Amino acid sequence: MPVIKDAVCSLCGSLCDDITVTVENNKITKIENACILGHSKFVGMLEHDRIETPMIRKNGELIPVSYEEAIEAAAKILVNSKRTLSYGWCSTSCEAVSGAIQLAEETGSVIDSTANVCHGPTALAAQEKGSPSATLGEIKNRADVIIFWGCNPVHAHPRHMVRYSSFSKGLFTEKGRKGRKMIVIDVRRTDTAKLSDKYVEIEQGSDLLLVTALRSIVNGHEDVIPETVAGVPKAEVIELAETLMNAKFVCIFFGMGVTQSRSKYKNGDAMSSLISDLNQHTKAVMIGMRGHYNVTGFGQVATWETGFPMAIDFARGYPYYNPGETGANDILVREEPDAAIIAAADPGAHFPQKAVRHLAKIPVIQIDPYPNPTTEIADVVIPAAVVGIEAEGTAYRMDAISLRMKKLIDSKFKTDEEIVKDLTAKVRELKRGA
Amino acid sequence: MQIVKLSLKEANKIPIEADNINPDNFAGKTEEDIKTIPVWYGNGQYPLGDFFNVKVEGSDSVENVKLVFEGDVARVKRIGQNMSAGEIEINGNVDMHCGFGMKGGKIIINGDADSWLGCEMTGGEIILNGNASYYVGSGYRGEACGMRGGKITVNGNARDYLGEHMCGGEILVKGNVGLLPAISNNGGKIIIEGNATMPANEMKNGMVIIKGEVSDLLPSYKEEGTEEIEGTVYRKLVGDVNVGGKGVLLIR
Amino acid sequence: MSEILIKNASVCDPAQRINCETMDICIKDGKIVESVSANAKVINAEGRLTMAGGFDGHTHSAGKINVGRFINPNDSRKNLVPGLSGQVARTEKTRAQVGYNTPNTYAIGYRYAKLGYTTICEAAIPLLAARHTHEEFKEIPILDKMGLSLFGSNWQVMEYIRDKEPEKLAAYVAWGLRASRGYGIKIVNPGGGEAWGWGKNVSGLYDPVPNFDVTPAEILMSLAEVNERLKLPHSVHVHCNNLGKPGNYATTIETMKLFEKVKPSRDRQALHVTHVQFNAYAGTSWRDFETGAPMVADYINGANHLTFDLGQIIFGPAVTMTADGPVEYANARMMHEKWSNQDIELEDASGVVPLFYSPKSFVNAVQWAIGLELALLVKDPWKVMFTTDSPNGGSFVNYPEAFTYLMSAKRREEVISGFSKMALDRMVLPGIDRELDFYELAIMTRSIQSKMYSRPEKGNLKPGSDADIAIYDILPGKIDPSTEYEKMKKAFSGAAYTLKDGEIVVKDGEIEATPKGKIYWVNAKVPSAIDSAMQKDIDVKFRKYYTVSKANYMVEDVYLQKPVEITTEGVF
Repeated sequence: MPVIKDAVCSLCGSLCDDITVTVENNKITKIENACILGHSKFVGMLEHDRIETPMIRKNGELIPVSYEEAIEAAAKILVNSKRTLSYGWCSTSCEAVSGAIQLAEETGSVIDSTANVCHGPTALAAQEKGSPSATLGEIKNRADVIIFWGCNPVHAHPRHMVRYSSFSKGLFTEKGRKGRKMIVIDVRRTDTAKLSDKYVEIEQGSDLLLVTALRSIVNGHEDVIPETVAGVPKAEVIELAETLMNAKFVCIFFGMGVTQSRSKYKNGDAMSSLISDLNQHTKAVMIGMRGHYNVTGFGQVATWETGFPMAIDFARGYPYYNPGETGANDILVREEPDAAIIAAADPGAHFPQKAVRHLAKIPVIQIDPYPNPTTEIADVVIPAAVVGIEAEGTAYRMDAISLRMKKLIDSKFKTDEEIVKDLTAKVRELKRGA
Repeated sequence: MQIVKLSLKEANKIPIEADNINPDNFAGKTEEDIKTIPVWYGNGQYPLGDFFNVKVEGSDSVENVKLVFEGDVARVKRIGQNMSAGEIEINGNVDMHCGFGMKGGKIIINGDADSWLGCEMTGGEIILNGNASYYVGSGYRGEACGMRGGKITVNGNARDYLGEHMCGGEILVKGNVGLLPAISNNGGKIIIEGNATMPANEMKNGMVIIKGEVSDLLPSYKEEGTEEIEGTVYRKLVGDVNVGGKGVLLIR
Repeated sequence: MSEILIKNASVCDPAQRINCETMDICIKDGKIVESVSANAKVINAEGRLTMAGGFDGHTHSAGKINVGRFINPNDSRKNLVPGLSGQVARTEKTRAQVGYNTPNTYAIGYRYAKLGYTTICEAAIPLLAARHTHEEFKEIPILDKMGLSLFGSNWQVMEYIRDKEPEKLAAYVAWGLRASRGYGIKIVNPGGGEAWGWGKNVSGLYDPVPNFDVTPAEILMSLAEVNERLKLPHSVHVHCNNLGKPGNYATTIETMKLFEKVKPSRDRQALHVTHVQFNAYAGTSWRDFETGAPMVADYINGANHLTFDLGQIIFGPAVTMTADGPVEYANARMMHEKWSNQDIELEDASGVVPLFYSPKSFVNAVQWAIGLELALLVKDPWKVMFTTDSPNGGSFVNYPEAFTYLMSAKRREEVISGFSKMALDRMVLPGIDRELDFYELAIMTRSIQSKMYSRPEKGNLKPGSDADIAIYDILPGKIDPSTEYEKMKKAFSGAAYTLKDGEIVVKDGEIEATPKGKIYWVNAKVPSAIDSAMQKDIDVKFRKYYTVSKANYMVEDVYLQKPVEITTEGVF
């Protein structure tokens, strides 16, 4: 009975790499160390419906076909397209991402990741001010003040606080939670807030006002602060700033509450500046709480292969980047794409109505292990092995540390990496024929 | 004088990239020459004549060239990119990056403009008789400097991030603007006759006047008395203190 | 069996003391050989300058550079060196390219090859993030690659030094090289990375590292001892303390002196000091800042235990990236620039900051002069490796421009004429009339690297060596580099031919083929008893302090493209 140790959990951006998996007769029978979300991914995979076979839509119905037929149909869609959107690629391996980028380059497509609807603004913020960060172990070993801002790890990253942050113990943090101050800033009292030493409730969309006020205080301009900022009394803002300045090591973990609230990337932009200002007094860093397990990996691979982390338009044969113009939603809402390839993502469920309506009108190729609302509008459906369970490959944790995901059990399905390779080969063949 | 009239043969969804469509590139050219100028459409390049009806009257040097777009070009990007002289008149809505990097001449838009109007322009004038979208007079992603010179007049409203990273020139908006106008600017002048939210964040230098209402003033400005301009008394705010800014923000 | 005969090459190969002599070069199966059959494909060099493929021994081309790309999307469209920068659409042979200082991986491979370079050494691999470096290596075409692993602020290293456990320290370093698939020991601002964990820095060689009770001098000496004990192919590669600070030349000389007592275990230097331009500053502040190059060069002229590289700056935009975290924070604050930081748990720090070198800034002008002064005042070119610490001092695509500075006093005068009086008063360059010849340039760009890194098959054209060859459109003897520098620059910017392992990869300045390069890494053997004892200690580190497990820390074989394992036997 094989027991696989130190498996990497491919659920969230925490990428816990201490999972023990027992496999019997090519079935996962026991999971140790995973959180409830991770556990349900490892085990739930067996209970969950799978896309059982490649399919092509004919007369409105998805008809089972061979991989070969599906790949050929997909390739035909791509070579006939003037503007393909390739979207998703965050719940898969870096190797698959690399293949997808090459395919996008060869077909003059736009390629974008799910960051388009979550931490995309984090990249835009970094492009304004940089990204003052550290690996998670730095927080574990040093941080005495931790802020969770607009994020709720209790539900979204269940083991984060134990492995990396609030409750973790390290060389200079032997007391763990007792030796740390944990602050939560949010618009509602989340379950994470309930565990904190200090909860600061702010008005919806006012993150930038509070960050700016903190900066003003840290930089010695307390006088310019009005009586309340973001719904928080001035005295409380000053107290918060002093807590940060008097800390030995501060980390701000921020989530979609920051990146997707009113002033979007300007919140992260200002937060980077706050971190820089704080370093005049203490040590401070910030880390984005990335959701999909390899959304960071997409950004890394895309950046080294194209120069940009997302929203890359290959129309002219070289990469062009301009979120707001070349993002998945940007072009869908404008009804630009005449074809789409969607992998390991579900815009059918997560995109605005207008974008989904356009997707429904154009040929859509879906690559995914599981059926989802996108399957309903797909014209070619290609089932894939589950990366991290049925396929190996690289993923990047939220702090940009890469880990190798293991293959735990065999699968009859092709991997994303193989599918993309086959598709690229077929596209080349069709182009040569033409 | 050389007048070039362009009208789309049919409306398009996939944008045409018109960085070759400007007076500099059209001056002295015949109808046939102009029709063969390549433009990008999706992942391919095609002659301009595939998409546009082209009519040329006269032939002249660039400063005497006028391009007239008849009807909507809401999916034609980068019209007037890098133009140095001459005039473009657009009788309809226009797509993104109109007047990008413009150095001189004039663009008049009788319609709405999509984002990045006058992005990184250094000279010349843009008059928009309609509404503008995001990033009027800003810079490309990651750049420290957006608009450096020239003037943009928006006779309607503008959306967020107007004049982001602006380093010079002037923007006048007759209507309201969205979030964070004049963010991270380092020079130039912005006048907003309507309302604005969170103006002049991290302004290092320059002048911003807001005649309408200001929502959510950022807590990083010092109040330094008042200033009177054309008979109106404004509160004078100086900052942004967090960047050691010497910018002036005048609000009512 | 593929054979090539390069006829009528004007060969400049300092390793064989050949100085622009016309001769033929025979190639068989990727290696240089004595002779080939009559079936060999013939390349007629027509008397053009022919050297071994260039070898950049210190460049930031994989890993941290990705942060540079990430925060500077605006670099993508910079086309300051046409043909070697900017946006280039894909072709049937090449992937799409973007960028100038932080080009994408494909562009790095193509552009180095166009310059006639065939091997690069990535200057800093954080152990924990090594997998990332190798992922990028895989996507850099054509070039052979190696990288130096960071050990200078590592907890386990400092603890073994403090506890006087030299054998375990050696075992740990050997393990770290294996884990990261590194080629040698890189030490950046020894101890400074750990201090930066608390937002602090160390101030010099004898300033103890907070909480670890060791000094930078002890870190340097202990790692040097390990380096020689393990008989590593390269010496320790040191980025000195106090980088970028006026007055730091004293720290640099002091560091060099420390190594006089180190006995190299192989036929190479005992110490390599990197990007010395940034560490050869005199004065006490930016107000009285001036060149410290004469003092540093004087010392180096009297020493024979070390090599160094320049870190020459190029005017225009650059992107600084280093494991020296505190330096980057100071840069960002001083220049109001973007600041990226990435501290690596238990190991080191790092930062990335874009900046602009302007000839109008007196500080930048003096920095520019210091790099050249070092190259020209140090008499023996076998001590000098040419670098811009790309892209810290400027992108590698500017090497041909920099070569003109080294080879033409007239070209230097032209640049200097734009400097302020204040700048001129703080430098000695205007008084230097030395001009390098092709032979000396070849030493600094390929021959010294072969010796420094103990890669006898690289950087020379001896039979048996790799057939990595550059042919430039220059007729030695018929060109005066001193006056015809524009012509020379053009020739160095796009090789007439670049051969990689005997395959034509560049012809007339354009990419012909894009084979995959090799990865060199060092496996230093350690007695198993010592290794086991060390493993117990690091098991504790992983259990208590790291956030990844030990099993997932090691870079797996799958990440190494065409690996070449260099084994050494340590002395215990």
